[in-house]
Amino acid sequence: MRSFEYVNATNIKTAIALLSEPATEAIAGGTDLLGELKARLRSPRRLVNLKTLAKLREIRYSPQAGLRLGALVTLAEIERHPVIRERFSILAQAAASAATPQLRNMGTIGGNLCQKPRCWYYRNKLFPCWLKGGEKCFAEDGENKYHAILGADRCHAVHPSDLAPALIALDATLRVVGPDLDGEISLEELYTKPTESHRQMTILGPNELIVEIRVPTPKKAARGIYLKAMERQSWSFALVSVAAQLSFEGERIADARLVLGGVAAIPWRAKDSERILIGQKFSEELAERAAEAAVAGAQPLRENAYKVPLAKGLVKRALESLAG
Amino acid sequence: MPKVIKTKTEFEGRVLEEYVVVEGEGLTAWDAQAPLKFVGKKIPRIDGPERATGKAAYTFDVQLPGMLYGKILRSPHPHARIKNINTQRAETLPGVRAVLCYKNTPKISFRRQTFIFDEIVRYVGDEVACVIADDEEIAQDALELIEVEYEILPFVLDPEEALQPNAPKLYPDGNLLGGQPEVYQRGNLEQGFAQADVVIERTFRTQCALHNCMEPHGSVALWEGDSLTVWDSTQHIFGVREGLARLLGLPLHKVRVIKKYMGGGFGSKNNLGKYTVIAALAARMTGRPVKIVLDRHEENLATGNRPASIQRLKIGAKRDGALTALELKAIIAAGAYCLWPPSVGGPARELYACPNLKTEQYTVFTNTGPLSAFRAPGYVEGTFALESLMDELAKELGMDPLELRLKNYTEIDQTTGRPYSTKGLREAYERGAKLFGWPRRPEPQGQLRRGVGMASQIWSGNGMPPAYALVKINPDGTATVITGTQDIGTGTKTVLAQIAAEELGFPIEKISVEIGDTQMGLYAPLSAGSMTVASVGPAVRMAAHEARQQLLDVAAQVLEAPRESLTITDGLLSSPALQKPVAVHEVLKNLENFMIIGRGAREPNPEDVTVNTFGAQFAEVTVDTETGEVKVERIVAVHDSGRVINPLTLSSQIEGGIIQGLGYALFEQRVVDRNTGVVVNDNLENYKVPTALDIPEIVFEMVERPDPRANNLGAKGVGEPPIIPTAAAIANAVADALGVRIYELPLTREKILKALQH
Repeated sequence: MRSFEYVNATNIKTAIALLSEPATEAIAGGTDLLGELKARLRSPRRLVNLKTLAKLREIRYSPQAGLRLGALVTLAEIERHPVIRERFSILAQAAASAATPQLRNMGTIGGNLCQKPRCWYYRNKLFPCWLKGGEKCFAEDGENKYHAILGADRCHAVHPSDLAPALIALDATLRVVGPDLDGEISLEELYTKPTESHRQMTILGPNELIVEIRVPTPKKAARGIYLKAMERQSWSFALVSVAAQLSFEGERIADARLVLGGVAAIPWRAKDSERILIGQKFSEELAERAAEAAVAGAQPLRENAYKVPLAKGLVKRALESLAG
Repeated sequence: MPKVIKTKTEFEGRVLEEYVVVEGEGLTAWDAQAPLKFVGKKIPRIDGPERATGKAAYTFDVQLPGMLYGKILRSPHPHARIKNINTQRAETLPGVRAVLCYKNTPKISFRRQTFIFDEIVRYVGDEVACVIADDEEIAQDALELIEVEYEILPFVLDPEEALQPNAPKLYPDGNLLGGQPEVYQRGNLEQGFAQADVVIERTFRTQCALHNCMEPHGSVALWEGDSLTVWDSTQHIFGVREGLARLLGLPLHKVRVIKKYMGGGFGSKNNLGKYTVIAALAARMTGRPVKIVLDRHEENLATGNRPASIQRLKIGAKRDGALTALELKAIIAAGAYCLWPPSVGGPARELYACPNLKTEQYTVFTNTGPLSAFRAPGYVEGTFALESLMDELAKELGMDPLELRLKNYTEIDQTTGRPYSTKGLREAYERGAKLFGWPRRPEPQGQLRRGVGMASQIWSGNGMPPAYALVKINPDGTATVITGTQDIGTGTKTVLAQIAAEELGFPIEKISVEIGDTQMGLYAPLSAGSMTVASVGPAVRMAAHEARQQLLDVAAQVLEAPRESLTITDGLLSSPALQKPVAVHEVLKNLENFMIIGRGAREPNPEDVTVNTFGAQFAEVTVDTETGEVKVERIVAVHDSGRVINPLTLSSQIEGGIIQGLGYALFEQRVVDRNTGVVVNDNLENYKVPTALDIPEIVFEMVERPDPRANNLGAKGVGEPPIIPTAAAIANAVADALGVRIYELPLTREKILKALQH
């Protein structure tokens, strides 16, 4: 990697002031950024170390306020936290399925939500791809077994986070702080399909930081599951993942949130499937219809058509296990 | 006395006939029942602590005063002519000491197909220039300042396309290595197929797999006057010495190559690398030591691979299962350069009794990273196709797969007509079947389908001369084994210490082993072809034997005891003529610094029998039909590699081979972008090797029968055998689970789900 200056942030305000300077980037766990620096995809002149912001390492919970995770909480801490395991189990499952123990000890939740795509064209300096400001998407007629089947346009990369689908299924919100901003947005709103003028997968500006992730306490009769299909048993990004959270009233499904990972540039909320499920009694046929609806409109490329039956299979399995 | 003889040796599926000078005859292998103290025992690695605690110095760890670092500029194009290179900007970057390219280095021919710095680049990753700087980061920065003007040439990535007459040519005489296929034939193929009741023909495809050794390739070069010392991560220090001397015009005694500890090679470090020559040139140019160690990205681009194969295989059999004919047409994607094509037809030619047979191999140049040897080159690929087709044949004939294999069992080497020295395959089948519980009754099948499969293994592993060793006995009763082999991570040092301790009658703690240095050691062959133990081990035993004879000569005189009455155990000399045992150092201590030096050489291989290794593996898998997930639940392996010297190092080889075979069966695959020739999974994130969680229950046993004809140990190699049948056994189990067969590796979810859609 190229040389850079390294500055410790003393508080959020000064961190944001520093990040407002040109060629400056934030670093926390570094598990994503260092890869980009080593590949020389980016060459910031200055890195602002956020790990010195001790307040952002806290995990707080109360039944009323729900779960509050500082942005610097590591994936390993989430995976092991007893309250998260018990009451927000999809989140613990998603954290445990990510990367490797070493990476989970380093990687933070804030960084995980903001990570860049793993697309092998994006990550390789030899390809001036559209997402990096170039002319074309090399995956479109190239090697695309890991790429998007839903909603892709100029870029076919998928959002790699395991935690994002789980947190969206849990209806999480974020506290975001910027130079003239301190507010709350839903996690779902964070993500955006990259467009001609905004070739990014989130709406965050370079000097805006996620400082806290807030997760409301799920209803008593809610159940959730995170299923992830990988090419091997660990240390893999999802081929397809499914985060499903259902709550029941009697035998009927009162509420359903279904979010797919690995299929689109954003964590993919399967709203049609949710509509099919809400108000219904569970049946195999219902699960089948919901699974079908989750991938309706899929437009696979040459090598990723397998993601369609895979996504269907995972949705069906998730629903069956929640109903069972 | 040295004797010059002509000998036939099999190495990785090819029979070589060459003159060798042989010595070392006269010792016979220990009897199977002989009570041995160290050989055959679970001796922990004698260099384990330093390896495990980071004290062992690998090539990367070599730090010399004033050392500079090199980084190689690699071609971004799959095929191009370099019109011009401008290195001026790079050279003026502070900290840059030199930039090497074709303009300022001698034109050195490399492997007859290219030059150290060629003006034509033939794959993405081919060497263009090298920056030498004060540190690696400066060198990396400088790479970006080199301006190269390329004339882009048409390229071809696919081996079948490369064989077309209008395909872009990598070399003036075309893309086919040698201008014609390698053909082997016996019997009458047409007649054989005419006699068959059943004929099946299928096309199998295997992927390109990458070695990804833990230790990367790399060298450190140091000139002292006109003497060159190179620390190199190599499987053959003497080969590197010879290559460097030849390419740089140096006499052998001025080139020293050192490799003390190694983190794996798997065949990718069999030969001299360009980076080694570049380091030597750069060190001469700058007058400073130079280190060039490749990074993971380069490892996945430019250090060799198991090449992709396309195998059209046709088999004919009688109703009772007897094979009548077998035909293989194989295409191998060599990549841009090729020294030693893998022998994909080996298993077809050797594994079963089949009178009419033809194998035809097209090794084809393509604009991709060049192949190299990779743990049982050719045999892993060939066994996948052959053993898959045998299962299809069994299904067609309504026979049990194992029964079909036994039906075609042969005690005679089908390629030479000679009998095998020993062959424990039948026992491997029987014991494996029993351990595994074969055949298993089919179970009711739901979403999770269970399947079983098996496959066989054949491989040389016989070892060969020349290999030499010295054993010196020090005045304090310790002994040092000296030879010029290298321990590539397999435990060679420990095994050699066991052999010496056994023969000398010394405790193993009193033995040290010095290897990995061409200047101090004696010639030993490359650590490849599963031949280190069977080549170097016998030389060490012979040297230890000779040292022991000398010790007994001296002891008889010092102790005034009849020589024939003396024995040595635990470092103590005993005789009925002595009141009590006497320690060896007691005998030597009054002889000033008298040093016993025993010299040993590997004996010739037998001419009248074939020495081979054999084995069988059984796999049980579950396949999730909704998600396409394959899980290997269990592998049972039984192998015959003659006498086992160390069950611990052996188990590492068996388990490691199975795990690497599992990765090949399920995940591992180099992905090259079809439009640009760039390797897109040039990292361990996307080139997926198995993780701890992917590893199934592994149960193995050895048919432990010393092979008295193999060498004076009765031992054969075990480095490669265990990887050979794993992918085939897993593929057969997956086919059993699915009810349909997938003819292409690896068996990813993608392929499983696709197969299930039909």
